[in-house]
Amino acid sequence: MGRLPDVARSVLIIEDDPRIRRILQMTLQREGLDVVEAESGEAGLERLGERDFDVVLLDLMLPGKDGFEVCREVRRSSNVPIIMVTARADSHDVVAGLEAGADDYVSKPFVAKVLSARIRALARRTRAPEPRVRIAVADLEIAPREGTVTRDGEPVSLTRTEFRLLCELAEEPGRVLSREELLERVWGYDYFGDSRLVDVHVRRLRKKVEQDPSQPTVVTTVRGMGYRIPA
Amino acid sequence: MTTTRSRPEIAPPSGTGAGTPDAADGERTRWTSPFRTLRGRATVAFTVVTTVLCSVLAVAVWFAVSQFLLVQRERVTTIQAADNAAQVQRALGTEGLTVPQVLAQLPRETGSVSLYVDDGEWVTTSLRIGRDDVPDELADRVLGGTPARQRIQVQGETVMAVGIPLDGLDEAYVEVFPLDELDNTYRVLGTVLTISIVGLVPLLLTVGWWVTGPALRPLNRIAAAAESIAEGHLSTRIDPGRDPSLIPIASSFNRTAAALEARVRADARFAADVSHELRSPLTAMLGALDLVEVTAHDLPPEGREGLAVLRSEVLRFERLVADLLEISRADAGNADLVVEEVRLAALVQESLTRRRLAGRETAAPHVETDASEVVIHADKRRLERVLGNLMDNADKHGGGLTGVTVARGDETACVLVDDAGPGVPEEERQRIFDRFARGSGSIRTRTEGSGLGLALVARHVQAMGGSVTVGPSPSGGSRFCVELPLRPGP
Repeated sequence: MGRLPDVARSVLIIEDDPRIRRILQMTLQREGLDVVEAESGEAGLERLGERDFDVVLLDLMLPGKDGFEVCREVRRSSNVPIIMVTARADSHDVVAGLEAGADDYVSKPFVAKVLSARIRALARRTRAPEPRVRIAVADLEIAPREGTVTRDGEPVSLTRTEFRLLCELAEEPGRVLSREELLERVWGYDYFGDSRLVDVHVRRLRKKVEQDPSQPTVVTTVRGMGYRIPA
Repeated sequence: MTTTRSRPEIAPPSGTGAGTPDAADGERTRWTSPFRTLRGRATVAFTVVTTVLCSVLAVAVWFAVSQFLLVQRERVTTIQAADNAAQVQRALGTEGLTVPQVLAQLPRETGSVSLYVDDGEWVTTSLRIGRDDVPDELADRVLGGTPARQRIQVQGETVMAVGIPLDGLDEAYVEVFPLDELDNTYRVLGTVLTISIVGLVPLLLTVGWWVTGPALRPLNRIAAAAESIAEGHLSTRIDPGRDPSLIPIASSFNRTAAALEARVRADARFAADVSHELRSPLTAMLGALDLVEVTAHDLPPEGREGLAVLRSEVLRFERLVADLLEISRADAGNADLVVEEVRLAALVQESLTRRRLAGRETAAPHVETDASEVVIHADKRRLERVLGNLMDNADKHGGGLTGVTVARGDETACVLVDDAGPGVPEEERQRIFDRFARGSGSIRTRTEGSGLGLALVARHVQAMGGSVTVGPSPSGGSRFCVELPLRPGP
């Protein structure tokens, strides 16, 4: 699927360090992205209230409202893809950030090119049209083109990443998709992906689509191999 | 082909271990004589003391019993002799029988002999015992009118002579009783007691060993806790339970362990904090570099060269910070160890694919036939890091990677990473896994490594319960061997 060149993707940067903010802005602008800055979590939430963004870049270590809180607050009203920026790549921080609703993460120090590649991957897949019209999985009905999931006619609210994850698994019922495959298909990593991204997102997805998330039947784990939706 | 005995042609390097530095020594001294252990000594002491006590008791019993039996025997023989003496007196006075006739009629136990003396004239019922056998001392006392008793030796046998004076002057009756039955009883008693005590020793050793086990269990718990701390589980503590004797030692042990843990964690946190603080400026520097490089063509050649140096140094700095952070995290404990089932051969293949994608020359892995499906319990991220670091090390210090082998042992799986370098001298095989250790050989190259790569390898492998060693590779260079347990650790 080709890029959508005529739409300038917009990025909101929530970062308290002015130097990093400035450099990010310059770099991402050069990459053709439309950049809006916010110096705190509160300011970021304000910007988000004013307009839509394609991707939010969120530093986890913020004065005042920290990144986790901002993330949770954003998730209450929006499915916008969030890339969190961590200085601490400790497993705890990454997992907590993903649990709070982030879609992906980069850890400092990062190379600007890597970051813009992550942003593009998220922006691209959230706009990609889907080939099939309707997919039925268990008691769910997935409408890839519309980006909606319904259960008994009631909409189930998924973030875009959760939705993509569900679609990838649903398109090939019965087939086991490894974490690596899912990282490639959903997050656009060709290699060096973090399999925790998949695990946390599957966990989040289950909370929304499973009758009993502790006894999953829609998305099942195949130990040592990956995940699948039983045919 | 059997899968039991493996690694026939793949010699693990004979170098010194990093994960388990004392592995070789430990192998040699693993068997210690049980008598040198506390439990062994306690068992032996228990056995010795109990045996001595039992022996004393046995001797006392022997004396008491033999004394009692002797007294008993003396009483019986005295009564018997007195009865017979009375009968001799009576028979000689009334019936007019001859002395030998009278003596012959007397009721006697087997083996006893009767003697009669009147006015120096001795009559005996046995040729075996006569006047000469009765000691003068006894004869004098009896003839003097006093009943007497004496143990005497006759032809090498101990017998009991009991003399009873009769009514007439110089007239007396002496009966000699055998004591061999008593001797037999003594002998049997002595034998039984001796055998009992000898038989008691192994029994005591067994019981002692069995009893000291639970008794010394608190000590074992302390030893296990100390061991666990030495292995890096710094949060190990001893629960003294309800044993009051264990409370003081447990609490001082726990205090020491807590102090050690706090110290190590503080050190690790400091390193981690420093690294974190360095990350934001690094991010800004990398971003700024990217921006400058866009306009690099406007710079004079020296400027471009300076920029290139700046870039490579910033990148080196970045790796150093990342490695420093990782090693400080490893030092702080194994809290983030995520153990899962990992197919080793597949993981090695993935690592090599990554290298290829990153544009680095890569050797094809060699997988032993019985190792292709081996599944180990390991932290995948750490293991990837280990393999990546070893391969990077081969590139940077070892003249290039020449081979990667996956093999399977009885209880371990191992990955062997070979390079084409000059090899690691024997004396450096341990030190190479230290932080910031650099090869001290003649080719002391300033490399772009962080100096922490192999230290991280050692940390990660150790955290997963394995060990890493370096030795000569059959193809010339060095061979790094990562051994990981097939079963999950405790």
